[in-house]
Amino acid sequence: MSAQKDCEFLVKKARELVSVDSCAAKAWLITARTLYPTDFNIQYEMYTIERNAERTAPAGRLLYDMFINFPDQPIVWREIGVITAALRSDSQDKHAQFLRGLFETLPGRVQCEMLLKATEQCFNTLEKAEMLLLLLKRFPESVVQHGLSLGETLLDAEASENVDTPVNCFRKLFVCDVLPLIINNMDIRLPASLMQKYILKAAEFYIGYVTRGPSADGQLQGSQDSGKLKSPSMSRGSQRYVIDGLSEKSSLVADPWERLLELLAVVGVRCEWQGDKGQRSFVDMLQRMKELCRYLPGLDGETRSRYCSQVVICGALTLFRSAFLYVSAVQPALFQGASGASSGPWILVEDLSSVYSDVDLDKGPVKHAQKKRKQADGREKTMSSDDEEGLGKGRGRHILVSKTEMPNWSETLEGFRAARESWDLLHSHDALEAEFKKICASWKTDSWLWFRIFLTDMIVFQGQYRKALSSLHQMSAVQQHQPGQQSPSGQGSLEHHRVLIQQASCHYALGEYRMACEKLLDVVSGLIPPNQDQTKAPEDHNRVRSKSRKGNDLRLLPCTNKAVLPFCFQLMLACFKLRAFADNRDDLSLGHVVVLLQYDWPQGEMLFLKSVDKIYHQGSFQYENFFNYVTNIDMLEEFAYLRTPEGGRIQLELLPNQGMLIKNPSPALGVELNTLLLQGVQRMDRHHTVTRGITKGVKEDFRLAMERQVSRCGENLLSVLHRFCINEKIIIIQSLP
Amino acid sequence: MGDIRQSLLPRDVLSAAKELLYHLDIYICNLVQSGRQPPQVDSKTLDLIEEFILHAPKDRNASARRMSALQELQLLEIMCSCFQEQSRDTVRQLMFSALFGLQGNAADESRMALLGKLVSMAVAMGRVPILECAATWLQRTHRVYCVRLAQVLVDDYCSMVPGSVPTLQNIHSASPRFCCQFITAVTTLYDLTTEELTPPIELLQMIVSWIQEDPRLVLITFLNTPLTGSQPINSLDVTPLGGLVRWCVKAPLAYKTDKKQTPTHERSENVPEVGPLFSTLHLSVLQVLMLLPNILNEKGLFGRMGLLQLDSLAALTSELSRLLDQADKHAHASAADAHAAPQLALDRLAQALQVAKANGALLCSREDMRAICSRLPHNNLLQLVLSGPVMYYNNIHTPPLAFSPHAAHSPIASHPALPTHAAHSPIASHPALPTHAAHSPIASHPALPTHPAHSPHTPLAALPASHAPYPAQPFITGMPFPFRPNH
Repeated sequence: MSAQKDCEFLVKKARELVSVDSCAAKAWLITARTLYPTDFNIQYEMYTIERNAERTAPAGRLLYDMFINFPDQPIVWREIGVITAALRSDSQDKHAQFLRGLFETLPGRVQCEMLLKATEQCFNTLEKAEMLLLLLKRFPESVVQHGLSLGETLLDAEASENVDTPVNCFRKLFVCDVLPLIINNMDIRLPASLMQKYILKAAEFYIGYVTRGPSADGQLQGSQDSGKLKSPSMSRGSQRYVIDGLSEKSSLVADPWERLLELLAVVGVRCEWQGDKGQRSFVDMLQRMKELCRYLPGLDGETRSRYCSQVVICGALTLFRSAFLYVSAVQPALFQGASGASSGPWILVEDLSSVYSDVDLDKGPVKHAQKKRKQADGREKTMSSDDEEGLGKGRGRHILVSKTEMPNWSETLEGFRAARESWDLLHSHDALEAEFKKICASWKTDSWLWFRIFLTDMIVFQGQYRKALSSLHQMSAVQQHQPGQQSPSGQGSLEHHRVLIQQASCHYALGEYRMACEKLLDVVSGLIPPNQDQTKAPEDHNRVRSKSRKGNDLRLLPCTNKAVLPFCFQLMLACFKLRAFADNRDDLSLGHVVVLLQYDWPQGEMLFLKSVDKIYHQGSFQYENFFNYVTNIDMLEEFAYLRTPEGGRIQLELLPNQGMLIKNPSPALGVELNTLLLQGVQRMDRHHTVTRGITKGVKEDFRLAMERQVSRCGENLLSVLHRFCINEKIIIIQSLP
Repeated sequence: MGDIRQSLLPRDVLSAAKELLYHLDIYICNLVQSGRQPPQVDSKTLDLIEEFILHAPKDRNASARRMSALQELQLLEIMCSCFQEQSRDTVRQLMFSALFGLQGNAADESRMALLGKLVSMAVAMGRVPILECAATWLQRTHRVYCVRLAQVLVDDYCSMVPGSVPTLQNIHSASPRFCCQFITAVTTLYDLTTEELTPPIELLQMIVSWIQEDPRLVLITFLNTPLTGSQPINSLDVTPLGGLVRWCVKAPLAYKTDKKQTPTHERSENVPEVGPLFSTLHLSVLQVLMLLPNILNEKGLFGRMGLLQLDSLAALTSELSRLLDQADKHAHASAADAHAAPQLALDRLAQALQVAKANGALLCSREDMRAICSRLPHNNLLQLVLSGPVMYYNNIHTPPLAFSPHAAHSPIASHPALPTHAAHSPIASHPALPTHAAHSPIASHPALPTHPAHSPHTPLAALPASHAPYPAQPFITGMPFPFRPNH
């Protein structure tokens, strides 16, 4: 017989009724509440009925009453916990939406108080932060009080939780949610050093986010989603990315670079950076930094250090952003969400499209310089001298690229340029370099594969080939230890090719032809020759431009079968060309050149005629592989003519060594071809036995070989040349210095 | 204006009526403009109205002129547009009372007949000005006539033409004032005593939906009426609350008997059950009551004006008690079922009493409530309400003082001594006294299971003298709530 018993009775009655007649249940509770206005259970029961019926307004009203009248009830807190959890989540289910709507019906003051108290009761740092963030977003006036401490809490949490990447949940909340609130609030006093620390935290996060690799999870999910029908690039596009501890929705960061730029603009204003107004893009920023740099030597003290910070921060951001632009075009597979469908990797190599031009014209500064230097310094060259020379060569180089194959070529090259200029800017003063190095060290940029790719290409561009080679060497080592970086679509071998080809290009540039060819032939052995027609079209693009240039240019080469193979032929041609036309006789090199000139015929017609001329002057020519690899009808005619009296009765020893052919029937050759060749050989054998030693018989052999060769004119030239590379690999390499 | 009679006489009925309306309009406009207070339509004019519009027999031997049905319809249309076009509220209002204000004479019947048709037409055509005038009329007129007007509308819209309910439904948005008055009249009309006086289900549904949608609707008249304190005698209540409470309380029994008497009646399939409707309505009534404290405080009327009258509630309880007696006699069928309806009725009564009292709609003491409920059978909630709440923190506030002298006595011993008949004791408790807050120490005693022989007030010597009579009452000591529900 007590108030409590009364209340229990009333609540029990309402509970019995609620499923049968909710109006009656409510009537009971209304009555009960007028009897015992201070009883919690009655009000909670009323609230429960409305909440279960998802009636937003009455439930909100009752929650408000409970919050005001029973602030110490654990049940109220449990309820508030459920509601704030719904606020934090991005669940779209009906109940979560109802709970959010419920919260919205509460007066702002109560919302604020609720969130604060709910935060106090939260022990998980992340949850607590999210809760406090809800508060800060809704009630901007609370930012002054709680903003900074929330930010520091998140940064502390990141440090103490030993997360291994800047793209983690704490940093995400800090950078994307808390930081904008803090720095846009002018009531909060922020020392410049703190703001610089914050903007660097933000930059590290955004860069890490943008350059995140395709996650193993994502790939798994992607391939499950798309099944076997879709291409790997499709599944890569559908990858989902989740930051550990966050939901999928809140793991998503829209327009990261723009947001970073916005933050930077605010920081710039607050730090009173020079001429920071109207800074709208990274390109503008670079320009601005260049101007500022000019004043730097004349400054000292605090002004100087402020200028320095500004230049280093802005310069570094421009560098990373531009380098990312470049690398994301050159190596899209490195990054999650990159549109890998458009193109595979691209390789920055020496431009060899002028290889068919005359040797005299083509004796580029590279080779001459190298030769001279070799004589002067001997084989052992120090890095520094290489660098000196490289810096000089970096100027005025052009990068050629097929515009149809790389639609965003101008953006890409512009990114490369801006990144190089930023890099130079950051290394233009000791003070800048020191600060920049600090940033790099704290971000561990050494471990960023993508950035190393940029740096390597930059070094190549600067002509520091020796340095580039060691960088490439390291990179291939890193790649082999990072299977995760390789996508499942054979991208791995492409990556490997990429490195080898770039190494070959560097070796070539250094005059190390044997190394160059060795690397190249490694690549070629892994390629399958495509149909001849496919390779023709893209080659035509650079021709006009390349004619006007010296052999000093670079080229972005798509890392595909059809582009790589021609490049290999060109590079080999370039390697042998000098030797072939040197004053001393080198029939083997000249023969290789003739074989290689077949590709892209009649581009090399001029050089071929030069070869013929040389043979004519020599009076004889020995190249036993001739009939194996020369199928060009024009060339065959020319050689046939050379033997005639009108042609000068040149002694041509072009017949293949019988022993060699039988010894090395290459498995790469087609069965028919082998049979064909062997038949020929057998036939010739017979002739030899009959007509040994008789000139007429030799003539007959040559004629027959020629006839047979003419019938091979329709053969796929790429297959022939590919076979040449594979079968003659040892001879080719050995014949180079 | 009397002099125009001669010009009206030769005309035919319709044009005479038209002419008179025209002159009436001018006359009242002048009247209002003259600023005479209060503007009073003179008796000659009223006579003309009776003669030429209502066609009441002027004297016994003169037979009244009659209008054909068509002429009457035309007249109604003219009147409709007349009110519609009159832009000044005062003029319109005066004209309406000149035409339809009851004069206590033989013409009143014609007046009521014409009014019924006019309002019905206004409902159909959504003529808001007429509905507003009718609302005022419903406030000033004797409830008997109000009920008659309501009856006309219910007949027209709920009974006569099926499917015309939605038209009536619209008055809620057209004229909330009229709607509110209509509800009051309807709840007055249908007192659930007989089947004829049971509201048609369509009407019930309509009212429930109105109030559910906007509970404040039932307070519109109250909110809009300046409190002159001089409500016309025998006019309708200022709110329908009393009537609605009566409906809800009696419904379980009224519809019960109704059903029993006509088990084969065709009201079954597509007609919804009334139970949930009344349940909803009852909740709405309680919710309206909950709105009252703020409204009353704003008007400075809290504790000074009750919207529910004790005597009408007394009438309700005695009716209820009679119904329950009847139900008792019929209740030989299923015992459980027979028990449920009376308990529901009593639950609702208890809820209405408690919520009304707590929110200042009912100004009386628990003593008074006990008095009017004394003849009702036992109901847990009703007993709880009649005794009032156990004061909450009394144990904290008056602990050892209250307990010490009796602690030695077995507290349990008192329980068996509880006489169940005590349920009828009107003075089971006093916490409901208006000033009970001051008595919190007394309130504690209900909870004290003291020995029956003991005076419960021994530990409370400090009580004001005014409470001295209590111990003298045949009070069941220590058990102020013997009838508490058996939790």
